[in-house]
Amino acid sequence: MTPSPAPPPPPAPSADVLRGTLDLLVLKTLTLEPMHGWGISQRIQQFSRGVLDVNQGSLYPALQRLELKGWISAEWRTTENNRRARYYRLTAQGRRALGAETETWRRYVSAVEWILATG
Amino acid sequence: MSVLQGLRRRLQLVFGARAADRDLDDEIRLHLELETEKNIRAGMSADEAWRLARIAFGGVDVTKEAHRDGRGTRWFEDLASDARFALRVLRRSPALTLAAVITLALGVGANTAIFSAVNAVILRPLPFHQPDRLVMLWESNPEFHWDQQDVAPANMLDWREQVHAFSDVAAYMDGDATGTLTGQGAPRLLSVAGVSGNFFSVLGVHPEVGRALRDAETWKNGSRVMVISDHLWREQFAADPGVVGRTIMVNGKEAQVVGVMPRAFRFPSETIDAWMPLALDPASRGDISFRRAHWMRAIARLAPGVSLERANAQLQTVVRRLQVQYPETNRVMGAGMTPLHAFLVRDARRPLVTLLAAVALLLLIACANVGNLLLVRAAGRERETAMRLALGAGRTRLVRQALTESVVLSLIGGAAGFAIGWWGTRVLIALQPPGMLPAGEVRMDWAVLGYVVAITTLSGMLFGVAPAAWSARRTPAEVLKEGGRSGSDARRMRRWGQALVIGEVAIALLLSVGAGLLVRTFYELTQVNPGFDARGVLTVALGASGPRYDSDEKVQAFYADVLRRVRALPGVTDAAATAELPLTDWGWTSQFSVAGRAPGEYGNEVAHREVTPGYFRTMRVPVIRGRAFTEQDAAKAPRVVLINEALARQFFAGQDPIGQRVAFDKSPDSTSVWRTIVGVVGDERQTSLGTETKIQFMTPFAQEARQEMTLVIRTPGDPATLAPAVRRIVSAVDPGLAIASVRTMADVRSASLARQRFLMMMLLVFAGVGIALAVVGVYGVMAQYARGRSREMGIRLALGAQRVQVRWLVVRRGMWLVGAGLAAGIGVALAATRFMQAFLFDVTPVDPVTFVAVPLLLLLTAAAATWLPALRASRADPVATLREE
Repeated sequence: MTPSPAPPPPPAPSADVLRGTLDLLVLKTLTLEPMHGWGISQRIQQFSRGVLDVNQGSLYPALQRLELKGWISAEWRTTENNRRARYYRLTAQGRRALGAETETWRRYVSAVEWILATG
Repeated sequence: MSVLQGLRRRLQLVFGARAADRDLDDEIRLHLELETEKNIRAGMSADEAWRLARIAFGGVDVTKEAHRDGRGTRWFEDLASDARFALRVLRRSPALTLAAVITLALGVGANTAIFSAVNAVILRPLPFHQPDRLVMLWESNPEFHWDQQDVAPANMLDWREQVHAFSDVAAYMDGDATGTLTGQGAPRLLSVAGVSGNFFSVLGVHPEVGRALRDAETWKNGSRVMVISDHLWREQFAADPGVVGRTIMVNGKEAQVVGVMPRAFRFPSETIDAWMPLALDPASRGDISFRRAHWMRAIARLAPGVSLERANAQLQTVVRRLQVQYPETNRVMGAGMTPLHAFLVRDARRPLVTLLAAVALLLLIACANVGNLLLVRAAGRERETAMRLALGAGRTRLVRQALTESVVLSLIGGAAGFAIGWWGTRVLIALQPPGMLPAGEVRMDWAVLGYVVAITTLSGMLFGVAPAAWSARRTPAEVLKEGGRSGSDARRMRRWGQALVIGEVAIALLLSVGAGLLVRTFYELTQVNPGFDARGVLTVALGASGPRYDSDEKVQAFYADVLRRVRALPGVTDAAATAELPLTDWGWTSQFSVAGRAPGEYGNEVAHREVTPGYFRTMRVPVIRGRAFTEQDAAKAPRVVLINEALARQFFAGQDPIGQRVAFDKSPDSTSVWRTIVGVVGDERQTSLGTETKIQFMTPFAQEARQEMTLVIRTPGDPATLAPAVRRIVSAVDPGLAIASVRTMADVRSASLARQRFLMMMLLVFAGVGIALAVVGVYGVMAQYARGRSREMGIRLALGAQRVQVRWLVVRRGMWLVGAGLAAGIGVALAATRFMQAFLFDVTPVDPVTFVAVPLLLLLTAAAATWLPALRASRADPVATLREE
């Protein structure tokens, strides 16, 4: 019984939108617990029920952006399997930013919805 | 808090770029491993798992690039790598690097040294409170040809009262006054300044110990006080604060020390020891002499908010009023003001600015040389550059890299230049004519450092432009195709190099002409007949002041005693005394009238000097007519005078002055003293070799005593050997007297030329370095040229041309280049040297001798520089040349 390969990923949205939402998703993901890069990508995939499966590589520039803004901080730790991984954690400022960004996102979405609904 | 964390991360990335790269590699690797493991758990094969993991990740290199770009430190990393590359390149060609660094260091070093002097003298503000509010007041008189001259006390006091634009006016005595300090060990001669009581308050300086002077102390009031300098305090009183209140003996009279001034305050002279009140006599306030004798310098502080123009307008109003009120003294006496700093530096400004211009030109030559060196090297690296262009390097990146190389080179050269400059300031201070530069102030401070950085950067950009532009031009295909050595672009590079060299030669010529003019001036000055024989004469300056010498007889007795004993010394052929030495100062001046002439026909600005009999014989000044003074011209004898030739020519042309009577007033009355002219003596240069002899009267010391006289002692041998014996005599006659100075007349003469000599030496040094650099440049360019045509020359030689003819090809080109440079240089020099007029004596700015000799000299040196490459080119083996490609 050969398992079927994973379904092909849906077409990715444009880069700008992607960057902003990616940051938001990363922040949200980290509210639960500190995680390393791969873990974050798995969690995002998990929670979006397979809809969002962006290039995993684009995660790392995003993580750096957030780190330089001071919204997340990072440290090297060992995983359960005794491997060296860089764990990212949400900072207080990041937590505040998450709230603000979420608000902005919601307003953005409703605006787009409204435009699309009318006319 | 979190912002700090972000910043910390940024710094980490800046300084640990490579570590950050490695970290990212680890992260990505872990990510891929975990993804692969997940895929394996889902049932895929190892290879399939890995492949899908890679696909899911996306481009690894793209991620790394994006990560690196996101750091925001890209430009910095590029700069760092460019700099590292530049250093490697420089290390690869050590000879070229060394040559460039040395050339730059010389240029930057010379500029640093001169700039530190300019900074100390001209740029740095005076160490007073709000120095830009201080002005120097001076008087002028068209009849006496006075301009910016000393002020008369009565006029100064009137200005102080009547010009409301001045918040206060202080005064000090012009000239070097001395006083002898006794009772504190060996008698010590002090440099003392007589100042008004408000002197320190007007300047806005505060003592470090004790108090300054008070306004009321300007006037004589029975007590004598003084303020001493920090330097005297430390040397003589061991910095004891108890010196305040102590009474010391100056010139035999008691004076109480009331304060000590801080070390930084050295006004009006660098070596000032003490300040004492002028102690003007209030009773003489109304005397005409109070308004007639000009001997003060006056400094005014402008009231807050008052402009210079308004203050000057008010001053002129008062001046006009005084002209009307006191016609006898002030009829044509004008006055003016100059900002204090400008006034104080007026003598040093021109020479320093000239030197600054000279070293700037030197730096240009240095940059041209380095530019040429780099250009040659850039041409030599053409293949490398072409390769890099072909492999995808951006042109901007290449240009930036070339510029970085230039900047790195200029930084190294600049650092070396800073060191040379530091050494240069030491040399400047050691060689300078005394008093021209404030020795304590000439140092390397932030302003100098800033200047060094600025000129280094500018130089780097200047000589970096050529090679950078060069790297940007070529297309890779052309270079990789042709040999790289010949071709139109190589010719263009050689032309650039040749153009640079023409410029270098022109600038070197300009510098050399300037130096040459100064050399001629100096020579002309040394050829001037001073009017006396300076060889074999010792001069000893003495001051017989104090209570021991409170009458003319006592002063005259003292000098008579000293002279008698000096004449008795073995080796002394003649000895006499004079109030002023020639080539130093012309003493006091007055007007005069001649008996029997029309009233209203009087002379102005005649100098006076008191001498003992034997002066003219001692100094070998010829007595043209009549006789010199003798012992018969004593105190009670009829009053006599001698005149100098200049006075005879001007006022007694066609007449015999002997027997005529003169008075030192412009309108003599019953109180005037009439003196009979008994002789005419030869002209002596009174202030300097370059200044015309002033009309002068000599009076016998026996009839007009002066406390300060200088002995002149003639000996056939070396006059310096007499010094100890003379010192012994003086201290035997009066142990409490300190000797002001002991110098040979030859030294006095040499000192009078000190400024011209200094300027000449400096310009000679700079011109010499400039010529050397230009010659090196010529050599380099000619060597390039010869190399560039080596194939052609090989062919010619192979076809039977003589070696001489081949050599001639190169030499001809070289001569053409040098000639063009000389022509351009001469053209600029003809226009520019008129700015040197003030420094020249008896030499026109377009002196033909200089303008012929100097280009000739440069032509010969440059010809030598051309000869060597020509020789080498002609010696080359034609076969070998043709074979190499």
